[in-house]
Amino acid sequence: MSLLSVAGITKRFGGITANRDVSFDVASGELVGIIGPNGSGKSTLFEIISGFYRPDAGEVRLDGGSLTGLSPDRVCRLGVARTFQKLRPFAGLTVVDNVMVGALTRTHDVRHARARARDLLDRVGLAEKADAHARTLSTGQRKRLELARALATEPRVLLLDEVTGGVDQRSIPGLVQLVRDLHRGGLTLLVIEHNMRVITAVAQRIVALYLGEKIADGTPDAVTRDRRVVDAYLGQAYTQ
Amino acid sequence: MRGTWPAVAFFAAAALGPIVVRDAFLLDGLILILLWGASAAAWNVAGGYAGQLSLGHAAFFGLGAYSAALLGTRWGVSPWIGLLVGAGLATAFGFILGFLSNRLRGPYFGLATIAFSQVLLIVASRWRGFTSGSEGIPVPFRPGLWTLGMADKRVWVYLVLLLAALLYLVQLYLERSRRGYQLAAVREDEDAALSLGVPARRLKVAAIAVSAALTAVCGTLWAQYVGFVDPFYVFSVDLSVRFCLAAILGGIGTPLGPFLGAALITILETSLRARFGGIGAGLVGIYLIIYGVVLIVTMRFAPQGLLSWFGEHLRRRPLLGTAP
Repeated sequence: MSLLSVAGITKRFGGITANRDVSFDVASGELVGIIGPNGSGKSTLFEIISGFYRPDAGEVRLDGGSLTGLSPDRVCRLGVARTFQKLRPFAGLTVVDNVMVGALTRTHDVRHARARARDLLDRVGLAEKADAHARTLSTGQRKRLELARALATEPRVLLLDEVTGGVDQRSIPGLVQLVRDLHRGGLTLLVIEHNMRVITAVAQRIVALYLGEKIADGTPDAVTRDRRVVDAYLGQAYTQ
Repeated sequence: MRGTWPAVAFFAAAALGPIVVRDAFLLDGLILILLWGASAAAWNVAGGYAGQLSLGHAAFFGLGAYSAALLGTRWGVSPWIGLLVGAGLATAFGFILGFLSNRLRGPYFGLATIAFSQVLLIVASRWRGFTSGSEGIPVPFRPGLWTLGMADKRVWVYLVLLLAALLYLVQLYLERSRRGYQLAAVREDEDAALSLGVPARRLKVAAIAVSAALTAVCGTLWAQYVGFVDPFYVFSVDLSVRFCLAAILGGIGTPLGPFLGAALITILETSLRARFGGIGAGLVGIYLIIYGVVLIVTMRFAPQGLLSWFGEHLRRRPLLGTAP
């Protein structure tokens, strides 16, 4: 039974078709990766699933109920959380306050929300930064903050837009481990990732997009060997 | 978050005012400080906490002033009823402005709010049959608390102190409650707030409507205290700027800031006018120059507002960037 289902999504911006009839399912507890060259429509798809864009055709369903046309805050409250590719911390708020905003979507009790936020910061390894202002964090720390903030909304599906993008090499293993732990804990994840070593290691399934269309969908092994994926994205050198 | 002791000290000092001071001029100053402080605090709900920089809040102030004055002079209705009617009207207009804020961002919203207050100014100054037009409305003095006719300034002090305390508590709520945290998130980054389940649009509209209603209440009490409603004053851009200036000078988005800013502006303006206002033709208007210079110097040395400046210099701790 699929938890998240993307069915026939098409999105045009003027003459450009960012997504053309994209369909795939994500089963409960699954970790699905999305790959594709720049401009292939990965982020547009995320904006549609999370309610920021309305598709021109197609439907997004969570556990059978339609999310299409709902506002982003409704989508989040129904259980789909996301992070942003271009990180958007609440720069003027403290780190713990950032996470509290997420937690307050599920509880009305400010004290309870603060306790939960501190727990989550502990889990993503930002506990000692809790009272610092978010603007003082490094990129890697901001990624962790966005993760904690999204987790605080208690999502059923978490959309991660580039876990390792823009992060220095040393921080990558920690972030990857974090995603693995979340998955092991039972969370369903949909992850956009450019780093092939990372995505093939964590994902159970990979969806490849090219020029807005889905060109492959399968196990990491199968997709990375797929003729069209190699031609469109990975290049010949990858297979050798 | 800062402690509340400076606010307690501020309001306690204001409450002691009428006991220590009998001088009518000083009591008048205290009443105006509290009224302008409350108005700036009401502005702060939208401009500071919700991050919607309005330059047209005089519109709501004027609605409050006119509602009570017109109902009182034309139909003999108590200004307390007028206060509620003004607040109701302001809430309705606040909703309209709130919806506008979801369409127009930043400077465009600011410009729309100016236009809004100017439209009301034109209506008030041209609709002679109903509003008495540009002549304005004198508010007749009818003794009694129900008609807000109090000759004793001390009663006025406590009345506006009550209003000021209410405004302080509203802001404190926005500092500490769930809605307050959510509103702060909307102010910082609306899309990120939406992605975390915050109903950003509804919150913004609500904040602007509440801010409008409270500003109207300030307008009613001000008009009843001063005893005259002049359309070119109550709907002026000057007045809108005064609310916003007081909040920014004192500390935008802080509960006590608007009151400190209003105190600075009111004391400065009143004392300079009393000192320089009457002398020879060559120096007429010099008080405005001094006033302007002091404001510029304040912003230069306390860009985050007076509250923040005091916090920094009295406790010697950095305010931004590190843990409190």
